[in-house]
Amino acid sequence: MIETLKASIIQLGKSILGIEVIENYDQCAGLIDVLWTFKPRSEALPDIRLGFVCLPIISTTADEDNYSESTINEIIIKSMMNLVDKLVIVVPSENMAKRISDSIESMSNSSFLQLRKYVTVLTSSTLVPKTDVLHARDKEEVIE
Amino acid sequence: MAKIEERQYDNIVKHHNNSNSSFSPSSQSDFLSQLDQSLSYSIEKDIDYGYGKIDAIWHISLHPSLPSSKLGFIKIQSQEGKADQDWKDNQYSLRKIEEAIGRGIRSGCDKVFLVADNEEMAKSISGRIEWLSSFGSIVRFDTVSTGVSPNQQKRSTSIPSQERVPEGEKIRKEDIREREEKFEKYNRPKGERAESESDEKKLGREIKLDENNRPIGQKEYNV
Repeated sequence: MIETLKASIIQLGKSILGIEVIENYDQCAGLIDVLWTFKPRSEALPDIRLGFVCLPIISTTADEDNYSESTINEIIIKSMMNLVDKLVIVVPSENMAKRISDSIESMSNSSFLQLRKYVTVLTSSTLVPKTDVLHARDKEEVIE
Repeated sequence: MAKIEERQYDNIVKHHNNSNSSFSPSSQSDFLSQLDQSLSYSIEKDIDYGYGKIDAIWHISLHPSLPSSKLGFIKIQSQEGKADQDWKDNQYSLRKIEEAIGRGIRSGCDKVFLVADNEEMAKSISGRIEWLSSFGSIVRFDTVSTGVSPNQQKRSTSIPSQERVPEGEKIRKEDIREREEKFEKYNRPKGERAESESDEKKLGREIKLDENNRPIGQKEYNV
């Protein structure tokens, strides 16, 4: 599941001009599934790093949209430590995206870290429209 | 502000030493809850704001006109389901440390203290946080979070490398001296040396200076 999500993010990144895509990016703080590095033409400007972490489904029969706050905590801190400028958490469903967004939004306004400005939660279908993703059969045809 | 913090820290330690001179690692929860209420501290225990459990939060009011500080304490357990991955060679996994810091920060704590079983582990936690923060992250997590242990009598912050490696200054000065010698060798001479220099040597030096002073990309176009 995660590999499919990653593949679509990699594909999208490669199709955008000026973006370098790195898979399994890690600066010793833990793995970031996909990193898009936007390299401005000017040497004087720094690279902008956009990190994507795909959230695995915690498989419970009762609730497919289950996730743990501890996973979110870990993802946020590891991406900051890995020098990621903006983090996108990719989740499997809209419901789950809303719940995680609400959880991040609900953080106190007085906190020194305003995570709502750092983290974006999206579903894979929002990020990559289905029309842009090739089916296995289409992909084979393209290769031929 | 640093002075105020230090004084408060000393007071806490002093108070703690007076009130409980002998405590063991097993009495972690006692360590977290034993504070004098008269020092305008208040404690919340086992609190969860929705981001995971914080074992204790100290609300410290330094002055009526200043906002109170929230210090969060999170016990890091060595015995959990994934014990093999999370706890090896007397140090906790990065995943566990990151998760605990995230939990504290998201819960609105100004400082997050990760309580370890012993001082060695606490030092290991602090060291890992400092090492990771040194890469240039937007947040210096080592200013927010530190490892502590219940029986600790000293500060858990690591000694800066300048103090730890005193010969660092010597190495730096040697580098500067070598660099200056290079400048002396390749730059345009001044005074008597300039007058006595042959035309051939002068021309060779000027060509080299011209080549090496161009921007990196420019060289390729001129070849």
